[in-house]
Amino acid sequence: MQRKRKPLLIALILMIASAALGVGLARARHAAQPQSQPGSRLHPAFALLDINGQNVLQSGAPLSTMQTCGQCHDTDFIASHSFHTDLGLSDYQPGTGLDASPGAFGKWDPLTYRYLSQPGDERLDLGTPEWLMTVGLRHVGGGPAATARDGSALEALPPDAANPETAILNPDGSTQAWDWQQSGTIEMNCFLCHTANPDNEARTAAIQNGDFAWANTATLLSTGVVQQHGEELVWNPAAFDENGQLQKDYIFVQDPTNENCGLCHGVVDTHNDALVISDLSLHNPQTATTGQVISPQKIAESGMNIQGKDDLARSWDIHAERQLACTDCHFSLNNPAYAVRGNQPSHLLFDPRRLDTGEYLLRPDHNFARGQSAQYNLAPELKGTMRRCESCHDAATSHAGWLPYLERHMDEVACESCHIPQMYAPAIEAYDWTALTADGQPLKVYRGIAGGRGDVDTVTTLVTGFQPVLLPRQNIDGDTLLAPYNLITTWYWVYQDANGNTRPVRLADLDAAWFEGESYAPEVLAAFDNNGDNALDENELRLDSEAKQQVIAARLEALGLANVHIEGRVQPYSINHNVTEGQWAVRECTACHGANSRLSASIETAPYAPAGVQPEFAPSNVEYQGNLHINADGALVYTPNLQAEGLYVFGHSRLAWLDWLGALIFLGTLLAILAHSTLRYLASRKQTAHHGETQKVYMYSAYERLWHWLQVVAIVFLLLTGLVIHRPDLFGAFSFRNMVLVHNVLAAIMVLNAALALFYHLASGEIKGYIPRPRGFFDQAIVQARYYLGGIFRGEPHPFEKTPQRKFNPLQQITYFGLLNVLLPLQVITGALMWGAQRWTSVAEALGGLPWLAPFHSLIAWLLGTFIVAHVYLTTTAGPTVFSAIQAMIDGWEEVEL
Amino acid sequence: MKKKSWIFGLLLIALVVIIPLALFAFPRDRASSPDPWDFLPEHPTHTDHSNIIEGPFETPQQVTQACLECHEEAASEVMHTTHWTWQSQPFDVPWRDEPVTIGKFNQINNFCISTAGNESKCMTCHIGYAWDQYPPKGYDFSVAENVDCLVCHADKATYAKGGYGNPADSVDLLAAARSVGVPTRDNCGGCHFNGGGGNGVKHGDLDESLYRPDEQLDVHMGKFDFLCTDCHRTSDHQIKGRLLGDNYTIDPAEQVQCTDCHVAPPHEDERLNAHLASVACQTCHIPAMARKNPTKTFWDWSQAGEDRGDDHYTYLKIKGEFIYERDVTPAYLWFNGNNEYRYLVGDPINADGPTYINKPAGSIDDPNAKIFPFKIMETIQPYDPVNGYLLTPITAGEGGYWHDFDWDKAFRLAEERLGLPYSGQYDWTETRMYYPESHMIAPAAEALQCNDCHGPEGRMDWEALGYPGDPVDWGARTPTP
Repeated sequence: MQRKRKPLLIALILMIASAALGVGLARARHAAQPQSQPGSRLHPAFALLDINGQNVLQSGAPLSTMQTCGQCHDTDFIASHSFHTDLGLSDYQPGTGLDASPGAFGKWDPLTYRYLSQPGDERLDLGTPEWLMTVGLRHVGGGPAATARDGSALEALPPDAANPETAILNPDGSTQAWDWQQSGTIEMNCFLCHTANPDNEARTAAIQNGDFAWANTATLLSTGVVQQHGEELVWNPAAFDENGQLQKDYIFVQDPTNENCGLCHGVVDTHNDALVISDLSLHNPQTATTGQVISPQKIAESGMNIQGKDDLARSWDIHAERQLACTDCHFSLNNPAYAVRGNQPSHLLFDPRRLDTGEYLLRPDHNFARGQSAQYNLAPELKGTMRRCESCHDAATSHAGWLPYLERHMDEVACESCHIPQMYAPAIEAYDWTALTADGQPLKVYRGIAGGRGDVDTVTTLVTGFQPVLLPRQNIDGDTLLAPYNLITTWYWVYQDANGNTRPVRLADLDAAWFEGESYAPEVLAAFDNNGDNALDENELRLDSEAKQQVIAARLEALGLANVHIEGRVQPYSINHNVTEGQWAVRECTACHGANSRLSASIETAPYAPAGVQPEFAPSNVEYQGNLHINADGALVYTPNLQAEGLYVFGHSRLAWLDWLGALIFLGTLLAILAHSTLRYLASRKQTAHHGETQKVYMYSAYERLWHWLQVVAIVFLLLTGLVIHRPDLFGAFSFRNMVLVHNVLAAIMVLNAALALFYHLASGEIKGYIPRPRGFFDQAIVQARYYLGGIFRGEPHPFEKTPQRKFNPLQQITYFGLLNVLLPLQVITGALMWGAQRWTSVAEALGGLPWLAPFHSLIAWLLGTFIVAHVYLTTTAGPTVFSAIQAMIDGWEEVEL
Repeated sequence: MKKKSWIFGLLLIALVVIIPLALFAFPRDRASSPDPWDFLPEHPTHTDHSNIIEGPFETPQQVTQACLECHEEAASEVMHTTHWTWQSQPFDVPWRDEPVTIGKFNQINNFCISTAGNESKCMTCHIGYAWDQYPPKGYDFSVAENVDCLVCHADKATYAKGGYGNPADSVDLLAAARSVGVPTRDNCGGCHFNGGGGNGVKHGDLDESLYRPDEQLDVHMGKFDFLCTDCHRTSDHQIKGRLLGDNYTIDPAEQVQCTDCHVAPPHEDERLNAHLASVACQTCHIPAMARKNPTKTFWDWSQAGEDRGDDHYTYLKIKGEFIYERDVTPAYLWFNGNNEYRYLVGDPINADGPTYINKPAGSIDDPNAKIFPFKIMETIQPYDPVNGYLLTPITAGEGGYWHDFDWDKAFRLAEERLGLPYSGQYDWTETRMYYPESHMIAPAAEALQCNDCHGPEGRMDWEALGYPGDPVDWGARTPTP
């Protein structure tokens, strides 16, 4: 069996880990739960060093990861090659707008709300120290935790209450200088990601206390290497050997596991216990914003109250189930096992010149491969470095035999759109920071859970999940694909500060506007408390009236804030995890090719808009072609517009006016026939039967009859199947897939039949009958028209004799001339291009693509349908009796008047 | 003729349209996979015997004779089955010079140890009557009228067996005889669900919960209402399916296989099908054993005889200490369908560790072996330290251990009845038996999935199975069979 081998190191680590798993299995019947020991025994013993390179056991000082791990690894390289560390610091650019960098350090995030103050800002919100204590709790250290915005060391900055880098906001609203010398800074924390049981709680607590220097040391509390003695962290001598190196049992270095990533990114659960999401706050940002859960468990086994979960024998995430780790896709960019090298000469399939494991371990790039998610500006240089679905999966093989138009589908729809059909965990829908709840929180709205307000509980409340909205995502290669997203709307107050810069109203100021002491200000209560219970519930808190809005705006202005107003923002959050295998993916054609196509399914982005403010879309690689509107219930709804997105989806898209036009022509013709035939009938009753002399003439050869009737069958069924494809919602009994198949096959038969018939007519000279003779044509046509409009009712003889050589009267000639030279060829060409849109994309595109071809095809179909009814009716006028012409087309012999 | 020629034209047109449609609509490779239902045996139409059988019957043997009046071959067929003989044909094993036979009749297990000598109790589950008429090991297997037709064919509401294989005293033989039909779960389960001396004791995948199982417990019997005989197909009273513990090697033709009905490849997912080379169906589709009723996993005979107060699941004075477990994760071993070893009475015990009563054959290098789920039974049972072999106490009946609580007496009685020399000393040793799990197949949605075996939380001990590490990373065994 051919398999890709991971590099030796990983293999060895796994082998040793497996060996560890095997320990304690003396009795085979207890093999069920191998005990796991943390970490790798391959990693050599090492000493823990402090910032001066001294063994911590001697100095008692906090450890320095840069020194400790730097004994072997190039920690300067690692720290300087990591967006996880930098978080936008190196791109930090203060300005008038809200965003000062593309990363969490400097980018305005209305969900977390606290704003990293820029130098010179009128009011301090988050200084760098407090940024670390809030947003920075999910920052790995280094970067802005150690370095000032100008690149110097934070510890070199003198304490200065006026500098946001060295100041902190007191609860009373005053600012206070921060002494970095005293607090220390946080180095990049290797142990947070590279140990099995990092003590994230202790680390978080240390950061929140401002004990920055000890934060990384606190991460080791759970290992026993260091112990808590009162307020102090004290190194445990028992953990070290006589040389001052960590004992074997305390060595715990490993590749980052999914749990490590989950500490900061979202809910990860690889265990066999029943999964419960207990925290839907931004501590689990990926889960909170999208509902993504990384777990191999079956959803059915979840401990949550998920609607219909008994039937969900699928795992949360197929890749987690199949034992992929986060790092398998989000790999270190120079990891030789994964590295993708761009710009290879075209003759090279594989370049064997690459880092060996040792070189890689010396300088492992800590920039990780990433996709092209909606958090578009984040680490832009890393966009698209990840292997995507198609790098590992061969869609052509896996979809072979059931998904028609494969290339077409793949060109327009991202894999995720079908393979992430539904999210089964709740996600944030809206955060409304224009109001504050009694505990100082915004009004929170979750989607995918019954009620969905405030602090949701996934165990006691029914979790309904939600269907992501599909939005066109522009990839860096220029392709645009429909991909699944959650849309989150936020509202918040902004003001213009003394420098003319727009800044969000600080939480402290918002607090002051809403509250006096512990309770809502009396003025606020008077304006908001509709039911007079001296408390404000979620509904009362909404700024749903001018009056309410003005109370808060006035109170904010009273705090000295200028030009206060509400802004709203809609941010797309890309959904790429929680993929499922084909069995659970969207497989029904009509899920998209139908009236309620999920491609254009709306999504509620907020149940209300405070003060009616229309939010703006956050800039991203998503194209917002749709319509963001407030519906009758006051909810803010986004509806994609496929037409504007350049998509024509069979069975869903249509031009209503064109269908009306076609139907009018068709019905008009029917009405005309009805009137004409009624008149004929009435006229025939008044007249004595006209029995002119007739004789039987062999009018149609066998072949002529064959091709005619074959064409009749093909065209009639083409029209019928075409109608089903056009409106599958009206013809639910038919399988869309089969109708498309039948339509295509019939079209091929029709074209072949037409080509053979053309050949026959050319070769036999029969073609002459179809060509109108220029001389006297109009006169003759008028004569024929007069007959239809008058003579036919009086029983006059046909103005033109029908002979095998000259079967058609002038009106027929012009009709067939148009039909065969214009309508049919156009229908064939548009049809062929629609069928071949994925093969001859450029030709189809040159003719306007499906959005132009398809309506055209529909219009001609209406005209062809009209032709058929008219044609059939007119045959009844052609001979001495009503059915003589039809009879002739059946057996060849026609009764003609002499 | 000419008048009707248009019909040919119509036919031609129909063909021109229909043939291409058929060609495209039914791609060649969509050959339909065989339907498992096609392989199920048909149940014969029930013949009501209440008007056929007249009686009266004084003895059960008279019932059998009545059966044989019509079913002339039935007894001789039955007498050729191991249900009757309780032992195999003689065959060679590497560790014995003489050919041996294996079966409940002459060998031991690590539950109640030995049927021989304990006929009064054990033969309740033998399909023969009148064990009280013969000395131990002296039963006459050639007496056709001793074949108990009723235990398999009578309505279990009308029939039960008592001591020495005879019907219980209260049985109305005529009523029982008139109720006969195709064997139901109740007939088979009466013995097989109670193997080892009680409900669920022995197998882990066979217990009384299978009389009326729900779909979750057993998808075949719960959802599709299978009878035992739907899989254990029977011809001439020869019933397919062999228990590993009572055999040495098993002819695959005599065994029931999932693939008897589920013709490969069973999964849509290619990755799952790739597992078939090394993983038995049962491994994934029996996620746990004893999912409803607990099964006995440990038995310590040495603790018997004390007046601790009896508790069915932990201690009985006559039997000693037990552990019953429910929802047990099986042990997983390479298994090629045979035993590597089967303890024969008189074989030496293993001085260095547990003695295997049976040990499944197979290894990672055996292309016919697959990873298979097993229940392991661990027992502390008596042996003779001088002779070095396991002892077979007489427990049931006068002078047996359950009567007098005297081990020494029980072994002496055994020597007298069965001829296995007893040195006068006894001690306790640990033994193991392996029971392959094949029943209680869960619905597909409940089957194990990747992470149940692979990854840090996986249940497989890959190195014990002979892999260098988790095959998700290290690859399948090479060369794959």
